Amino acid sequence: MVISAVTVGIISGVMIMGVMQGWIEQRMHDAIYNEVSHIQIHNKEYLGNEEPLFTVIRPEEVISSVEALPGVRAFVQRTKLTAMAATPWAATGLFIYGIDPEKEKSLSEIYKKIVPGAGEYIDKNKDGTILISDKTAEILKLKHYIITSGLFDRLGGRHIPYSVMEKLDSLKEVRFRSPKDFREALRSRLSKKELDKYGKILIDSALDYRIRSRIQITLTDSAGNPVQGTFRVCGIYKTTNTGYDQMSAFVNAGELASLCGTGKPMIHEIAVLLHNIEDAESVRRKLSSLPPGNVVSTWKDLAPDAAYMNDFMILYYFIIIGIIMFALAFGIINTMMMAILERTKELGMLMAIGMNRRKIFSMIMLETTFLTGVGAIAGMISGWLIVSMLGKTGIHFAGWGEGFEAIGFAAVVYPYITTEFFIFVILMVIATAVLSSVWPARKALKLNPVETLRTE
Amino acid sequence: MKILELRNVNKIYDGSEVHVHAVNNISLDFEEGEFAAVVGPSGSGKTTLLNLIGGLDIPTSGTIIIDGTDLSLLKPSQLIDFRLRNIGFVFQSYNLIPVLTAKENVDFIMSLQKWPAEKRDARTMELLTAVGLAERVNSRPAKLSGGQQQRVAVARALASKPKFILADEPTANLDSKAAATLLEIMEKLNLEEKITFIFSTHDPRVVNMARRVITLLDGKVVSDEIRKKENKPA
Repeated sequence: MVISAVTVGIISGVMIMGVMQGWIEQRMHDAIYNEVSHIQIHNKEYLGNEEPLFTVIRPEEVISSVEALPGVRAFVQRTKLTAMAATPWAATGLFIYGIDPEKEKSLSEIYKKIVPGAGEYIDKNKDGTILISDKTAEILKLKHYIITSGLFDRLGGRHIPYSVMEKLDSLKEVRFRSPKDFREALRSRLSKKELDKYGKILIDSALDYRIRSRIQITLTDSAGNPVQGTFRVCGIYKTTNTGYDQMSAFVNAGELASLCGTGKPMIHEIAVLLHNIEDAESVRRKLSSLPPGNVVSTWKDLAPDAAYMNDFMILYYFIIIGIIMFALAFGIINTMMMAILERTKELGMLMAIGMNRRKIFSMIMLETTFLTGVGAIAGMISGWLIVSMLGKTGIHFAGWGEGFEAIGFAAVVYPYITTEFFIFVILMVIATAVLSSVWPARKALKLNPVETLRTE
Repeated sequence: MKILELRNVNKIYDGSEVHVHAVNNISLDFEEGEFAAVVGPSGSGKTTLLNLIGGLDIPTSGTIIIDGTDLSLLKPSQLIDFRLRNIGFVFQSYNLIPVLTAKENVDFIMSLQKWPAEKRDARTMELLTAVGLAERVNSRPAKLSGGQQQRVAVARALASKPKFILADEPTANLDSKAAATLLEIMEKLNLEEKITFIFSTHDPRVVNMARRVITLLDGKVVSDEIRKKENKPA
């Protein structure tokens, strides 16, 4: 009983912590490698007012300083302008980044986030192309769900029975703008069982983007004059942060410079990736001698949610472990009290024949600690195996994916556990077991051998 | 040689609603090698008297001296240790430790006294052989009959070479054959090794075999009969 209670408790704890840690690590990784890098340098004015004219002051000096820093893995300079993106069907505001696509790969993983089958990463040699996100495509109505004849041919018979496909015949060539609408349409035609079984593959397969569609970008140049340009969608990317995706589109920096008439790209942002995240603060201090008017921000300033989670990770540990240990202590005390009640006569006999109080006390303590230890080891091993397995396959929170991604968390989490956490849990379990055994042991000491021997 | 003296021993249970004089001014002496039965109807104070003699309970007044040691002068921890080294207990319902084998149940008492392993092993085998269980040393209590379990309990009680054995209704849960075997073994140990046995009992077979029969009624000794003739179990 104690063993199973402890085992289940530890597995639960390891799982919860594994998922939390997986999430936090994923958020940290994505924040740094997709969104903000470790360090960013801006014109101080730009942070309060994102006007095109507030470029980094004396960027050559800044770049020289960054290049001279030890611990820098990569850096890029970007043009970053607020813009209005429009298609014939919809429009939205966003930041348009002018980048060097190849150099950007050394620092950002956006190029790895291209949705399969949805175009390609931006190519420096192809003019007039723009990389937008899945979310932006959805807003601009460049994303839809459509059952085509080709889809029928691809899926029918092999992945989905013809009888099911026939029910969907009336949906052929009908465009749905959101997965929700498409799912509703499927629901109206398929049984619940069919929807559960084939819904996901239908939705995934019916997803289609209008790649190569034109998007009109309207922005202001450094003189404050509105300018317009047309770009073709080269690809669709999707990160785990819908908020970031919705606000970010990428084009070649040179084309943005041509559009704005500046000749060479404006530099609004210099992003720096370090070898070690821990060096961010010291690098910021080293960059304090940059030309005045520039400001250096670390990832903690730029992605405060990730920084907050990272800083409070230890507090989460204590809270979660505290709850588990509290439940564990209750379980141990309850079970051991029951064990003592069941063994009253045996304990009375031991006292009668001359087993002293210290030995009775030690016996109960040792028994509790041993049982807890066995349960803890079983729980740790099981928990570790489960977390290792799920760490490879991931846990798919399909139903809540949209909500998670809206706040920067992946819909698929890959739990993992650190060695430090394991050691911490082991120490906490031992401490809880020892402390929890004191009460039952004291209860045993209070037994009166004469009375206990009378019990049947 | 006198090994146990009771002088004016009283035990009064004074609850809020009941006042029971369980042992009423009893004075008794026991010599080494006695085979004594304490008899009397239920509620006459037999078990209470044995508990007082065994140091499991404290008399309201009076003195109990075992081999020159006044139990009332011992601290609780000293009393526990004294019980371990000087008194053997046999209980009505055997009270063996269920997870230990017969051998381990007997060995346990000696390990509490920190006897060396070789000495314990030899003593355990000697005792289990004496009670006729040499072949069942590795059996757990659940695999033994009631009579066999009680014989293990006798071996356990003898393990630390106590001054005397207190047996509270040792045959009460046994059939007649098992009871007879047990009594034969105890009598043999008494006669051959001079081990003192004090029983509380209702069992006429035990009474027949006893060489001293103390009869209690309402907590008082109403007769103390010494039988010179050696009896054999029925």
